[in-house]
Amino acid sequence: MVCCLLKKLKGLIRSRSIHVSVVNTGGCNGCDIEILACFTYRYDLEQYGIYYHNNPRKTDVLIVTGPVTEQWKDKLPKLYDKVPEPKAVVAVGSCACSGGIFNQDGGRVGGGAAEFIPVDAEVPGCPPRPDEIVKAVVEVLPTFFRRWEFERGGGDGR
Amino acid sequence: MADKAPRGVTVIDLDTGEEKPISHHVPVGPHHPILKEPLRIKLAIRGEEVVDCKVEMGYCHRGIEKIMEGMPWQKAAFLAERVCGICSHAHNMCFIGAVESVSEGEPARRGLFLRYIVQELDRIQSHLIANAAYFYSIEHETMFVWNMNTRERVLDCIEKITGNRILTGWNVVGGVRLDVDEDTLNEVIEVLEEKVVPDVETYRKIASNDPFIKMRSRGVGVITEDMIRRYRVVGPQARASGVAQDIRTIEPVYPEVGFRPITRDHGDNLDRILVRYDEVLQSVELIERMVEELPRGDHRVEMKVEGGHVVNRTEAPRGELVYDMEISRGGVVKKATIRTPSVPNIRVLEAIAPGAPSVADAVAAYASLDPCVACNERFIVIDRDKDEIVFSGKAREVLRACRSKTS
Repeated sequence: MVCCLLKKLKGLIRSRSIHVSVVNTGGCNGCDIEILACFTYRYDLEQYGIYYHNNPRKTDVLIVTGPVTEQWKDKLPKLYDKVPEPKAVVAVGSCACSGGIFNQDGGRVGGGAAEFIPVDAEVPGCPPRPDEIVKAVVEVLPTFFRRWEFERGGGDGR
Repeated sequence: MADKAPRGVTVIDLDTGEEKPISHHVPVGPHHPILKEPLRIKLAIRGEEVVDCKVEMGYCHRGIEKIMEGMPWQKAAFLAERVCGICSHAHNMCFIGAVESVSEGEPARRGLFLRYIVQELDRIQSHLIANAAYFYSIEHETMFVWNMNTRERVLDCIEKITGNRILTGWNVVGGVRLDVDEDTLNEVIEVLEEKVVPDVETYRKIASNDPFIKMRSRGVGVITEDMIRRYRVVGPQARASGVAQDIRTIEPVYPEVGFRPITRDHGDNLDRILVRYDEVLQSVELIERMVEELPRGDHRVEMKVEGGHVVNRTEAPRGELVYDMEISRGGVVKKATIRTPSVPNIRVLEAIAPGAPSVADAVAAYASLDPCVACNERFIVIDRDKDEIVFSGKAREVLRACRSKTS
């Protein structure tokens, strides 16, 4: 009973303070500036308790934009390993979901971030509007962190 | 003792008792809080002072020119737009302009005017985000948020005209995709005059008068005329040093509305910021005049693509953008070479960063150059037998390797 309450409390606190880090794996910048727009007055992600900084070692959520280019194929898993548990990955934009327009003959990109690291949520669009990004982040992430202790966390050091 | 000590931080060697300056290499990137895009800047520092700087690129290479080969222009225009998300309209316009110059007939006059109206709006939002990024790099968060907020209003204007915020897909061969009625254009001008112009004037006043911004920006990262000639710096970065080069003077619509390039003299970080604010205000004036003189008629005419070799130039927000293309009859792209303004603009960092008093100043100088890494990555060299990358984005080394093999 106490354990359950503790888990609930942990989940509640985690879902109220989420730190976000954006990594551009070779995209065209379109998604990055739309994410940047989410942190300004009009969309203001910080009012939901989501804080943006770019240090992967302190972050909870990794937002990936862009197709995974040749140089990033080994660096992206390394960056993912640096993020402490519990962690979630959101792929923003068509390129991060599937490679997008660059994933055709002649291009040298991987087919999206999901080929290299586990992805928890995808926001398609080229680029997705800021309100779509806000909706995805606000709906998915707090639930994910609230349930994490019950679903994936637990005793064995996971 | 104090006057004998060398500049910077020193350390005493315990074995020999000598005093040595600490030298250090600081890699910035490819994933770093200050960078929006992946790029590696290698700084060699002595104490706090930056003594050497190397820029390493190649993290964004997607092979756009290769994918473009064998595509009809209707598809390739979308690909050209996605070279860069911030100045996407300039890329689209330059590509379509190249296809039009090997076609029969002339594009629609009204279409041209509408095209350049959106181009100026695009320039405003690009300059505002560039200045916002600079203020973020000198930790002035208030100005960052204000600039971004004004940019939202400009994006609203673009959305009102084209239907999308960025990556608009606005240009087609012969004109533009949709016609715009007068009410929409008047609404746009109303927003620009009532919201954007007073805001930008305030920001310009703050930037030129605020003592803290001045301390961080005046005299830091000076680009001289000699460097401009050596590195071929283009765009507002060159105009801030007094070099009045602007492709808009030879583009079609601009001479009719009385365009003149703006220059400033010092060539440091602050002047680059101020030139961008000046150009934002100038762009608003240009838009007003274009809307006044907007000709009536079709927004799009049918044009038959004849084919041939073409070099087209446009003034993108960051400077001169060149598309060198071979197009076959019917409009299939045979070969494309894209030269973006950010290539020389980022390279010049290797000249201005050494001598900066601290790493933070070198990073601020980088942000003031309005770098767009996504534009840059044009080639990698691949070893076919081993299927591994030999060089990526290091132009000088590739050149040296090529020379050593052929001489």
